Amino acid sequence: MGGPSGEFEMVDARDISNKQKQIAVSEFFEKNKHFLGFDSLQRSLITAVKEAVDNSLDACEEARILPEIKVEINRQKGDDIELISQDNGPGIPRDAIENVFGKFLLGSRFHAIRQTRGQQGIGITGVVMYAQLTTGAKTRVISKIAKESSAVFVELGLDTRKNKAIKSRERRDVWADENTGEEIAHGLKISTVMKAKYQRGKQSVFQYLRMTSIVNPHATITLVVKDRDGDILEDAKWIRTSEKLPRVVEEIKPHPHGIQLGTLQRMLRESEQNRMTSFLRHNFSGVSVRAAKELLSKSEIEENRHPKRINSEDTKRLIHSFQEIKLLPPPTDCLSPIDDLLIKKGLSKAIDSRFASTVTRLPSVSQGNPFQIEVGLVFGGDLTSDGPIEVLRFANRVPLMYQQGGCALTKAIESINWKQYGLDHPGGKGLPKGAAAVLIHLASTNVQFTSEAKEAVSDNEEVFEEIRKGLLEVGRGLKNHLKKNTQREKAREKFELVNVILPEIANKTSKILGREVPDLAPVITQIMNAVFCEEELGWDKERKVATCSIKVFNYTARARAYTILLKWPESESVSIVENSNGGRKEARGIWAWRLDTLNPGSSATISIALSGLSKGDWTDTDVFFRGNGDIIGATKIDEKLLDEIRKNEAINVVRKEMLEVNNITTENNQVEVQEVVFNDNDDSEIIDIFSKFEEEEI
Amino acid sequence: MSEIGQRKTKIEVKEALKSIAAEMHNKMERGVPPSMTLPVRAKTNIGFDNKLGVYKYGKKKSTRDATSLGSARQLLRSLHVTEFIEQMIDSGKSSTLREMYYISEGWGHGKFGSQNESNNLAEDLEIVTKCLREDFKLRPEEDGARIIGNVTFEERNRKGDWMKINCRDDVGDSGYGVPYNVEAEKLTLIEEDVDFIMAIETGGMFDRLVENGFDEEARCALIHLKGQPARSTRRIMKRMSQEWNKPILVFADCDPWSFRIFASIAYGAIKTAHISEYLATKEATYLGITADDILAYDLPSDELTKQDLGALDSELTDPRFNTGYWKDQINLMKEIGKKAEQQSLAKYGLDFVTDTYLPEKLADEGLNY
Repeated sequence: MGGPSGEFEMVDARDISNKQKQIAVSEFFEKNKHFLGFDSLQRSLITAVKEAVDNSLDACEEARILPEIKVEINRQKGDDIELISQDNGPGIPRDAIENVFGKFLLGSRFHAIRQTRGQQGIGITGVVMYAQLTTGAKTRVISKIAKESSAVFVELGLDTRKNKAIKSRERRDVWADENTGEEIAHGLKISTVMKAKYQRGKQSVFQYLRMTSIVNPHATITLVVKDRDGDILEDAKWIRTSEKLPRVVEEIKPHPHGIQLGTLQRMLRESEQNRMTSFLRHNFSGVSVRAAKELLSKSEIEENRHPKRINSEDTKRLIHSFQEIKLLPPPTDCLSPIDDLLIKKGLSKAIDSRFASTVTRLPSVSQGNPFQIEVGLVFGGDLTSDGPIEVLRFANRVPLMYQQGGCALTKAIESINWKQYGLDHPGGKGLPKGAAAVLIHLASTNVQFTSEAKEAVSDNEEVFEEIRKGLLEVGRGLKNHLKKNTQREKAREKFELVNVILPEIANKTSKILGREVPDLAPVITQIMNAVFCEEELGWDKERKVATCSIKVFNYTARARAYTILLKWPESESVSIVENSNGGRKEARGIWAWRLDTLNPGSSATISIALSGLSKGDWTDTDVFFRGNGDIIGATKIDEKLLDEIRKNEAINVVRKEMLEVNNITTENNQVEVQEVVFNDNDDSEIIDIFSKFEEEEI
Repeated sequence: MSEIGQRKTKIEVKEALKSIAAEMHNKMERGVPPSMTLPVRAKTNIGFDNKLGVYKYGKKKSTRDATSLGSARQLLRSLHVTEFIEQMIDSGKSSTLREMYYISEGWGHGKFGSQNESNNLAEDLEIVTKCLREDFKLRPEEDGARIIGNVTFEERNRKGDWMKINCRDDVGDSGYGVPYNVEAEKLTLIEEDVDFIMAIETGGMFDRLVENGFDEEARCALIHLKGQPARSTRRIMKRMSQEWNKPILVFADCDPWSFRIFASIAYGAIKTAHISEYLATKEATYLGITADDILAYDLPSDELTKQDLGALDSELTDPRFNTGYWKDQINLMKEIGKKAEQQSLAKYGLDFVTDTYLPEKLADEGLNY
């Protein structure tokens, strides 16, 4: 929870506007509780859990700790509910506790943008405030940081007139785990009592944590809900499926394309630089020295003017010129996508399904804000087939649980013609129906919401198009899966027919009539009259390899000859370590085997093993064939498609080579590139010295 | 088959069943998938038999062969049933269709998926072997009808003794219960003192007529059909019509499903068209409630549902309803878009049905009392 206190910008609620200066924080809270998430008893509990858990996840991520989060909800008399939240994060230093729990955090830090969960709430102070206002309860905090020998135990209340935390009963003690009795090395535990209501359903603490666990496969999250008499009403444990922590995101500065007048005015007012050129270069991404000079000349502002002396007319001209001068796009390493393989694991942790397809799109930019879309689709299994599909919306790894209909992410799902991908979509309007769930994750340094409640993403063409592309990709996967299922089912039935039922029929007639059992081979050939192919993907626990075996049966009256092709997840880290039939690489990710002639009634088996994958990574593939006569269970290879794959491969190789060449080229034509390199390196020491130098100039 | 006296002997039944197995076995020996040939059991394959005066299956045949899993399973089941019947014949036992369904649990891949499957298969075997299911020692679960009125039967009880029962004097309010087997070996029609026989669809109306003493007042026998009448109900009506030569009148709700009940009584049911001449009473008349009655008596009615309309349209292409009378009734019903229950007559009081409605309707049929 929390993390170092410098992490957030602490905005004194009294500073929010000049008019509100004299208004107590409690009044501010009361007035705005609808968008702070405390407007109903049910939602208040979800919001409180959300604030606690988001902080825990952010803090663990920053301290590079795999999170273990425990949420306990205990019903007490009346509408009172005790909320306990505990993590194994870095803890909060004693002196920072007051600030983390006692001041309102509004928005994210101004001058530096990066993707954090904390962007989306008012912070844990809201929880302390809500508890105090509804039940008068103090919030109890236990915080232990690794380098100290004991934990801090303290109770917190708020002085609503001064907007300050009031500490009481502070002590230091050893903090031991309730169950094991072992001393806890680091972590944070908060408990408080508030008026709230625990409910199940689509909008519930359970659903919030379930969704959170999907997009945080590296976290283990536990929920226990107890009744007044201590009976367990609900409990759940989502165990981590990945040991990989999300990467540390780089902070970036805002890009001029996404800046609004008010923000720019404020940035100018608070500028630490004394010259407009350095102001532009150091507060924005994508602005080179040359671009800064061009921007200023275009807006008729002298380069050495002091930012604090720029009037509103100047500011308007500057905003205007932002759109006219060619600027570099913002860097995208400030984004932290979950990664398609991890989403798949996260989804499989929460939903038992038959099919999962996930995709992580490349980052893009909209109005100066880098963003990245991830889409997942699961089908079958535990999901119910009546009614609309389940929609799982996320912005920066935070579940969005309200206002589903008005959200751009939902609208993107509704804009797809799902019928052609195998889902029921009555009238082609609204959400499709069926046993499916669709996940959309929008990672962005600046998620635009429809309202302050921050529950629905507002319309944006670029974001919409990216989501659509992702959805089409997973949709195609679903379509293939369903088609293959039908084929597989057909093949399975035929096999059962000739291998089980037919021999039983023959045995019975022989027994009833007292005659000899006839030879069934010619009957079988006549019934099947086709070539069948079955592939089976598996996992070898001992050798830690993913396996695939392909069986081809010739149940026709003629001999057949085929080349079998298999799609496999080829990459730098994945390779074929075992291969029964040799064969050759046909293209990237496609391996081919030429089979010996298959006589009527005979079969052939190919088996391979892949290293570099973990269990559950390879659950779906495609088998193709080349040769005369159809194979049930395999698709005839599209030679054009194969050519295209090969061509793309060749282009990629050329592109790589060209990049390498570019890296060593000249100074003359590559000024911009050079500057990017300079910016990217972001040698902070040099820049710091530079800014200090400027300050001394005054 | 139409004459009860010509029932097959045990040996003939076993031979007939074995011929099914033989057809399959011979095909396999020739290297061809085993199969079984059956008439198509749908309204598109029933035609009027001029000689018998009822609807029978036409010439359309369907072949059930082992090229799909479902059909192959059916063939395997037929063989299991064949074996099971042989055992019952040899040991002198019988079983209900439901019991056979449960026994099939032990048949591995030959077990039935539902009770309906086992009922249909028993009928398939009847058709192919030209035997009756009584020959197979298979009994239906279905509930026979109830009869009240001055008619007398003799029924052979469990001890093997013949017992005389008058359906007015020897029964309670629920009447005489028709057994599942009403063939000569089990039931004899002794005597009657009635002018006609009236079959009633719903229990509520049957009880109303009994309470109002309609059987004595109008000198008739009342039969409660209990919805779609069981085979034994249709068979006993056929025998009463044939042996006593009395008019049979059907009094049902006014909806598409009631029309079908009548058709199965008078013309033969699609499912049992192989024994129509044995079950159908071609002399039966539909008394009401007709679509005209809804208008004439201004009866409380319900809107036709989508399913009702579908059923009516389906009846328009059913050869059994291809008469001027039925076409008029069905089209009128579609036109007014209404249906009515028998008990809607209670709108005019509990005695209206016996004092006014039935006397008027019966007078139209030439039956006055």
